[in-house]
Amino acid sequence: MSKFATVKTNNGINRSIAELFRQMLEKQVIKAVLIPAKQPSSQMVMQTLITNPNALDTIDPFAPVSAVSSAKSAAALTNRSSGEPIAAVMRNCEIRAFIELVKLHQGSTDDLIVIGTDCLGRYENREFLKLAGEQKELTTAFLAQAAGDKRYEKVVGAEITTACKSCLYPIPKRADVNLCIVGAKPGEAIWLEAQSEKGEEALGALGLETTDEVPAGRQKAVDKLIADNSAFREKNLAAFAKKTENIDGLSAILSSCINCYNCRVACPVCYCRECVFVTDTFRHDGEQYLKWSEKRGKIKVPTDTVFYHLTRMIHMSTLCVGCGQCSSACPNDIPLSELFATVADRTQKRFEYLPGRDLQEGQPLATFHTDEFNDVTGQVK
Amino acid sequence: METTEQKTTEEQPTEEPIDDPTIGTVLVVGAGIAGIRAALDLAETGYRVVLTDSSPAIGGILSKLDYQFPSDHCGMCKMLPVVGREYASQYCMRKSLLHDNIKILPFTEVTRVDGQPGAFEVELVKRARHVDTEVCIGTGYCADVCPVEVPDAFNQGLTKRKAVFQPVPHNLPNMYLIDMQACTRCGECVKVCPVDAINLEASDESLTFTFDSIIFAVGCELYNPANTIDLGGYGIYPNVVTSLEFERILSASGGYDGEVRRPSDGKPVSRIAWLQCVGSRNRKAGRDYCSSICCMFALKEAVLAHEKSSSPIETTIFYMDMRTFGKDFYRYRERAEEEYGVKLVRCRVHDVDAMPDDSVIVRYLDPKDGSWHRETFDIVVLSTGQAPPKDREKLAEMLGIAPSQMGFFPTHELDRVKSEREGVFMCGSLTGLTDIGEAMTSGSAAASEASKLMRSMGKRHKEEIAFPPERQTARELPKVTVILCRWNEGKMPPGVDIEKIKERLSRRSSVGEVHVVDTVCRGPGFEQSKAILEQTKGNRVLFGACLPYVYRQRLKLIAQKAGFNPALVEVEDIRSVIQRLRKEEPFDALTRRVGQNLDVAVERLKNSDALHVKSIPILQQALIVGAGVAGMRSALSLAERGVQVHLLEKSGDLGGLVAAKLRYTLDGLDPVKLVSDIKQRVWENKRITTHTNAEILKSSGSLGRFETVIRNGDNEQLVILHGATIIATGGRDAKTDQYAYGQSDQIVTQSELEQGVSSGKLDAKKLNNVVMIQCVGSREKGAHEYCSRICCAAALKNSFRILSDNPEARIVVLYRDMMTYGFSEQYYTKARGQGVMFTNFDLDRKPSVVVDNGKPVVRYFDPVVREEFETEPDLLVLSTGIEADPSNRALAEIFGVALTPDGFFQEADSKWRPVDFLKEGIFVAGSAHSPQKLSEVITQAEAAAQRAFTYLSRGSVTTARIVSTVHDAICSRCQLCVEVCPYGARTYEPMEKRIVVDEAACQGCGLCAAACPNSASELQGLHEKKAMAAIDAYLQEISL
Repeated sequence: MSKFATVKTNNGINRSIAELFRQMLEKQVIKAVLIPAKQPSSQMVMQTLITNPNALDTIDPFAPVSAVSSAKSAAALTNRSSGEPIAAVMRNCEIRAFIELVKLHQGSTDDLIVIGTDCLGRYENREFLKLAGEQKELTTAFLAQAAGDKRYEKVVGAEITTACKSCLYPIPKRADVNLCIVGAKPGEAIWLEAQSEKGEEALGALGLETTDEVPAGRQKAVDKLIADNSAFREKNLAAFAKKTENIDGLSAILSSCINCYNCRVACPVCYCRECVFVTDTFRHDGEQYLKWSEKRGKIKVPTDTVFYHLTRMIHMSTLCVGCGQCSSACPNDIPLSELFATVADRTQKRFEYLPGRDLQEGQPLATFHTDEFNDVTGQVK
Repeated sequence: METTEQKTTEEQPTEEPIDDPTIGTVLVVGAGIAGIRAALDLAETGYRVVLTDSSPAIGGILSKLDYQFPSDHCGMCKMLPVVGREYASQYCMRKSLLHDNIKILPFTEVTRVDGQPGAFEVELVKRARHVDTEVCIGTGYCADVCPVEVPDAFNQGLTKRKAVFQPVPHNLPNMYLIDMQACTRCGECVKVCPVDAINLEASDESLTFTFDSIIFAVGCELYNPANTIDLGGYGIYPNVVTSLEFERILSASGGYDGEVRRPSDGKPVSRIAWLQCVGSRNRKAGRDYCSSICCMFALKEAVLAHEKSSSPIETTIFYMDMRTFGKDFYRYRERAEEEYGVKLVRCRVHDVDAMPDDSVIVRYLDPKDGSWHRETFDIVVLSTGQAPPKDREKLAEMLGIAPSQMGFFPTHELDRVKSEREGVFMCGSLTGLTDIGEAMTSGSAAASEASKLMRSMGKRHKEEIAFPPERQTARELPKVTVILCRWNEGKMPPGVDIEKIKERLSRRSSVGEVHVVDTVCRGPGFEQSKAILEQTKGNRVLFGACLPYVYRQRLKLIAQKAGFNPALVEVEDIRSVIQRLRKEEPFDALTRRVGQNLDVAVERLKNSDALHVKSIPILQQALIVGAGVAGMRSALSLAERGVQVHLLEKSGDLGGLVAAKLRYTLDGLDPVKLVSDIKQRVWENKRITTHTNAEILKSSGSLGRFETVIRNGDNEQLVILHGATIIATGGRDAKTDQYAYGQSDQIVTQSELEQGVSSGKLDAKKLNNVVMIQCVGSREKGAHEYCSRICCAAALKNSFRILSDNPEARIVVLYRDMMTYGFSEQYYTKARGQGVMFTNFDLDRKPSVVVDNGKPVVRYFDPVVREEFETEPDLLVLSTGIEADPSNRALAEIFGVALTPDGFFQEADSKWRPVDFLKEGIFVAGSAHSPQKLSEVITQAEAAAQRAFTYLSRGSVTTARIVSTVHDAICSRCQLCVEVCPYGARTYEPMEKRIVVDEAACQGCGLCAAACPNSASELQGLHEKKAMAAIDAYLQEISL
């Protein structure tokens, strides 16, 4: 059962949140906080590990951008932990990916307080940089617009990513504390929701009064957000599935792939220390290339393109959280996010698995059932 | 036949059974599963074994059973060695079995046994097959032309076969045999055989060998209901079948394609009935025993029938007592009833009759409602039990021992595998009535006795074969030397253009020389191949020959002798492709197909590296936890074979539950003397160190080198190093508060009654009215969900004890199912004869007890007269059974092994590996495994000792070549491989921060490699690059 506290944001949402972390740092509840912040001499907002309370001036946790998924950053901080308590501010897709990385022993929640943020989506990096250059208070405008404030409609003027528009899980459920803006008036107050015992302790340390009651208007706003996203997602994926229903369709979608492997680098759940596609396994002899070409008279180079994406689907689709980082990273605008969402939808349903749902839930590959997929294996139960 | 005489023999490790008289050699007669278990145990220990069977194939009755409960799969291959896999075949045992130390002689009978232990002279008669299996390449042309058709015994006559036939259709190599009784000697097969393998005039061959010891495992028969006096119908009505016939109906290879259909008209089945105890539990017919296996057999067949049928079916089992006495049997019954809706009706049916459409009518009286029923079924299955072996008189005469009254072989009362003739042991259902698990246990126990005997006579184990140093290939580019077999070209119908294939291969850059020889497997071709291998400059070898299962070993061995690492030698079967496709594909296409297959093999070899076995040192010391009868017996068994044993006991004295509680047994043994004798021997044995009042603090390590820290009675901490562990912690008397126990001193447990009358505290003469209640706290949800196995026997023995003091005593036993399995059935019969009253009750109508004035008052329902009774017994005796000790939990954690939901230790496989744990080097014996009778405990203790001795007998064991490995540099430490490893062979080592592989435990299954996304985990010799190269080579000539 979660608990809610209200925080006034009359002086600006960032300043109010900075105040919370200042207290946590000063009271030594945490040693550092990983939080999106404006970078010096730039409009870019990136995850920043802040230990000095004075550096909290630059934070911008609701900025509609996520240049790098912070799941990997949080994993890097906790894999071989310093032992000091740290808070990490993350969107739900990042939290869910982080939970999967923890199951894979790539990170740990032991010394971490996970601070979630309600997510209304993000812009592609280019769009964000452009908009942030044009508009001083981009985050405020973005949140106000999303909250239905008509004054900002024209000011913002770009679309969030397709993945964000399709997101079914914009609200964190497995954070320790969640910063809630959906249903709130971000210009006046936001809510803090403690989602775990650790979170309740943190709110207690901040001396905040809590209540068991869900703030008025929140549930309705959350439901509407998810319903809208769900409708968009269904339509979009249906159209995509039609385009890729056979190998020719798939090859066509992937024909502009240049094997740069950016999608793999950007993917928060692709965790191998060295990808199999850069190992010797895919370093072929010249004789082999010639044989392939001889067989059909021609072969596209580089080879292993479709194979690479298929392999990634096998490795990652059950863990795909639909964050859309792969699409954002692709230099040739291949709709990878749709491709993965389409496959993940089916593999995750098949295993009744939802990545990031629960830290205790075993990943499909690590879970063994004696009677499983009898329709596939053909064995008698 | 002449050609076989010329063949070279020294390359065949199993050709001559006795080449060194100092090495222990054992004859195992009967290659059913018990015989195979005994043979494998001895072979793994390093002894030479000759394994014979009177039938042409191995596997016995189990070769016909595709599915075994509780998994409803086959698991026979689990018998194969887990460590030392390099010396044995590692594929389906229903196909065949190969082990370097076992020579298998099928179709061979033992006709004479002379001499004494250490020098048994045995005459074996190899019956003529009329097809020379050394020459036959399995073309099957002979069967194509054979004009004779007879019913196939393998499918219990449900299908037909030719006079020249393959006795077990799934055997490999699938060797032919001529049934001379059916053969018309037309000679057509002789004409078409391309290799002259058929000789219609062949005669039996007599061989004489010397053996140190002999193990008989000739099994039993299944009762033939055609002679039944109980029930008509079998052999008259086509839809009345035996349980084994039904098993063949269920089998995919049984001629019905695995669909459940009626034999009469092939229509799908919707109602099936099983009639239990056909040919068993029949005193009039001289079979006053329970066949032990049929209840589970019927339950399993019913469950399978539900699973195999495409539409819903109804199944009913008519039974007398549902004897689910084994470990986890009761849970299987619950599953059958609850999940599948199998209906159980307690009654002996009155008769069976047939309808005009061949449906079968069963008439019976249902005790539930006391009225007559008439039901129609599509199939009625007769649960025909085990019956004495058919040649028992011959066997008895040959050995000079007499079979028992019931036709089975009498063995030593406690040492069930010892026969009356010294040096001759018995196992499996020859000694009585066994299920698979018991057959395995007795097979290992017989091997143990034979091994102890040979040890006492100073016989050695076989040393490993030394090979010349290997060629160094690591720094060379792959060069494959190809040897192609022309197969006696003259006689062979045109197959492929071998010169064209030679030319094709020669063009490959990774192929060096290509040689074509005649008949690579024997004669001059074999010699020529050896010479080629000696001289070749290549560093990898590819044979293109036929029947790779038979010749692979032989060909790999000559390559190995020429210095090639076995991982760099491949034998490609190019014959069977031609065989299969000759009729459909033109000559050219076939030549291309064979060429392509060889290309694939070249790709595999090109991407192969030399693989080496590793030697894991074995400390020749054992730790045995628990000094009850099981632990002491295991300790003695190992100590007698030179193993140093640490025997740990948590209490202050040896003897366990038997010493504490058992005073007499149903079969008249003296447990008090037994315990004092065995204790004496343990104290006197210099190789056994006993630690009483001991506690285990921690244990680590793996097979060959465990390290266990204990605290002994003097409160000292000791570190014990040991190569193997046996857990024999026993069980304990279960407590109860049911049936007003504890409220009156006239309410006691069976064990308390036994103590009381033995010590004289309880005077049986004064007991005039006794009520016993069975299954107290057992076989019930929310209580112990298992049968304690010993309580029915306890009720019987205590009844006899009371009656011996007071023949007038009135004893009522309230029971659910009398579990007097096997030969204890006769005591149940005897008790009824002596007037003990047995009244059945159901879980929904249990007896009730109130204490009135300090005296128990029992109320119970009698289903026969359908009336409620009330009685005030002098003594109410509760059968509370055996439960697991709660301390098992901590022990299981310390040793890294599993427990059952009931808290007993969970063996690796209840059927095929009953005393092993999944973790290598740890074994279980006695009631720590499950509640059991004293003689069963002893057999199991002996079996566990033998399983441990297969490792402890040597200074080291070798790992397999194909084991998994980790590339630390690219490993992400995600530990998926640790989670998926079914053998616990992988661990994350937190100090070194890396994944460690226990190479002895690794079985090369490859799950870790499949789970690892970037091939940081890999199976040596089977990496992805090799697989992809092979796939590419296959796809090269296939148009998609």
